[in-house]
Amino acid sequence: MQSNLTIERSKEAQAAQTVRIKPKWHKVVLHIVYYVVLIVFLVFYMLPFWGAVVSSFKSNTEATTSSPIALPQEWSMEGYSGALEKLKTPLLNSLVVTVFGAAGSVFLGSVCAYALSKWKFRLNNVLFIALVAATYLPFQAILIPLLKTVQSFGLYDNIWGVVMVHSIFGMPMCTTMMRGYYAEVPDALIKQAMIDGNGMWQIYRKIVVPNTKLATITTFVFQCTSIWNEMLFALVLTAQGESAMAPLATTVLQGFVGATGVEINQLMAGSMILALPMLVIYIFMGKYLISGQMSGAVTAS
Amino acid sequence: MAAITIKDMSVSYNKGKTFVLDRLNLSIKDGEFCVFLGPSGCGKSTAMYSIAGLLEPYAGQIYFGDTLMTEMDKGKKKTFIPPQERNIAMVFQEYALYPNMTVRENMAFSLKTKKVPKEEIDRLVNEQAEKLELTPLLDRRIAQLSGGQRQRVALGRALVRSPQVFLLDEPLGNLDAKLRDQVRYELKKIQRELNITTVYVTHDQTEAMTMADHIVLLNGGNIMQEGTPNELYDHPANEFVAGFLGTPQINIFDCQVVEKDNGLVLDAGAFTLPVPADTVACLQPYVGGAVHLGIRPADMDLDPNGPITAHVDSIEPLGDAYLIYISLGEKLVVFKYAGEKAPAEEELHLSPNFAKLHLFDPATEARINA
Ligand SMILES: Nc1ncnc2c1ncn2[C@@H]1O[C@H](COP(=O)(O)OP(=O)(O)OP(=O)(O)O)[C@@H](O)[C@H]1O
Ligand SMILES: [Mg+2]
Repeated sequence: MQSNLTIERSKEAQAAQTVRIKPKWHKVVLHIVYYVVLIVFLVFYMLPFWGAVVSSFKSNTEATTSSPIALPQEWSMEGYSGALEKLKTPLLNSLVVTVFGAAGSVFLGSVCAYALSKWKFRLNNVLFIALVAATYLPFQAILIPLLKTVQSFGLYDNIWGVVMVHSIFGMPMCTTMMRGYYAEVPDALIKQAMIDGNGMWQIYRKIVVPNTKLATITTFVFQCTSIWNEMLFALVLTAQGESAMAPLATTVLQGFVGATGVEINQLMAGSMILALPMLVIYIFMGKYLISGQMSGAVTAS
Repeated sequence: MAAITIKDMSVSYNKGKTFVLDRLNLSIKDGEFCVFLGPSGCGKSTAMYSIAGLLEPYAGQIYFGDTLMTEMDKGKKKTFIPPQERNIAMVFQEYALYPNMTVRENMAFSLKTKKVPKEEIDRLVNEQAEKLELTPLLDRRIAQLSGGQRQRVALGRALVRSPQVFLLDEPLGNLDAKLRDQVRYELKKIQRELNITTVYVTHDQTEAMTMADHIVLLNGGNIMQEGTPNELYDHPANEFVAGFLGTPQINIFDCQVVEKDNGLVLDAGAFTLPVPADTVACLQPYVGGAVHLGIRPADMDLDPNGPITAHVDSIEPLGDAYLIYISLGEKLVVFKYAGEKAPAEEELHLSPNFAKLHLFDPATEARINA
């Protein structure tokens, strides 16, 4: 009886839908306008990117003479090999700084977040507010003292100095992010682990970290992108030699101005190479970043 | 293995503004099975957390045997042994199983922390898994278990240890009736074998009656009564205790105490009962006034000359007995009849068991008769 009813109802619903979908001419026009506008914007938006991609595959002469958006007449890897040659050191430096800087800040942030979210102590809230405030600190404001500090450690123009600065300055952001995730770990788990004979840091290691792996990954990826794209610290804390870093290397690339003018193909190829690592990370980790939350990371309940 | 003594313990969640537990005094003997019983929100879990050391009381002391575990004075910590050093095993209301581990790893976790040798851990875990029918599930992850299975894992995890004290917070709440009886039996047996002091929290009075050596009945943060299940059932100290224990609930009547023929009678309006001789003395102060009379459903019987005459409202068969709902004046009263056949009459004549009448002061709700 009931299934009959539902079938009837769904038929009715279908009928209703067909009626509603029946297009009216002005609606069709409106739709066409929508799409035309969208496509125009898309083209404008993608054109520079397209230009960069095709130019990076041209030889330098073709890149400077042909239309920047035309397909290469002759596909050439010359730009890439040239750019890679010049970018080798900065790329490697940047990679090291990104990975270790992100790892450092995630580690510090995770420890702080754990203490702040799962343990009550005096000044708990004060500390957290201080950390949040630090997240919004404009780095420009403290550049000079920072530079002096790094110099006094003897770490100026040393990528490990940059790693240290990124670890510390990334910490507040990581703490804020991870505190949210850790708050989702049920208190009963922590209590149970205490009853089972574990102290605060054993619980962190054996229970909290293994149950929030996705949170760690998400925060790590987030930190990687922001460190990779960060120019300021790199600019201030390194000289442009051995320890030059990748985002700066676009400035290095501008030094590709040779006797024949700018080597556009190398410049474009270099930009592609610089974008690649983050592109790869986003392709593999994107879904966690987009969802933003770590739904399912804590599967305790 | 240790006795637990609680002295003047108060617990507050807001630094002494209001108290969830108010000057609690309690002693639980070594090896005893003690049940904290009470309605939801009465402070059972809070009391248990305080014993575990997961919560700092506002004031008072807690001893395991002669060892001072907690001593608090108006929110200040004097002595506080952290929970990981108290050697207790606990089952939480929410199971709190570690989701990153298998069943076996969950059960082995505390032993591994204590650095028990591996073969010993395996032996203990397998033995306990056997008892709780968890053997086929040992290598599963927690997410792949049903609620009842999770509960048994939580129980097994506590039982593999040999703690000083077991703390169990409603550990059978999610089991179906059959499994609950079985696990209840198993749990009680293991507890008796190991002879470990156990505190068991429940709001289910049947569980409390069947398992406890010692029931502590709490309400609103105060102990209403403590004692053996029979003491509480047969001699409830007040109306709350009488109403909380026993299913169906005890019937309570408002009665006037009147003098008649050199004796006293209780006049409930719909019926009058003569007061038994041994109760007359304690009812003297109430003559001319009111008392509350409690009669348990099973403490009545059919009697053609009985003082209570009532109209049958409905009958529920229980299998081995009948619950007969009768109307007495305005009141619906339950009578548990243990006969073979339900009585066919519309009108019943009943007589209460005069040795099992409960009389309470209407103002204080305290028990009047001995
Ligand atoms: N963390 C907390 N903060 C503030 N109040 C709390 C907290 N935990 C419990 N309470 C309050 O303390 C009282 C006792 O709570 P408790 O958890 O001990 O009850 P319970 O007897 O275990 O109840 P149940 O049978 O529902 O588990 C309740 O009124 C509750 O609202
Ligand atoms: Mg509770």
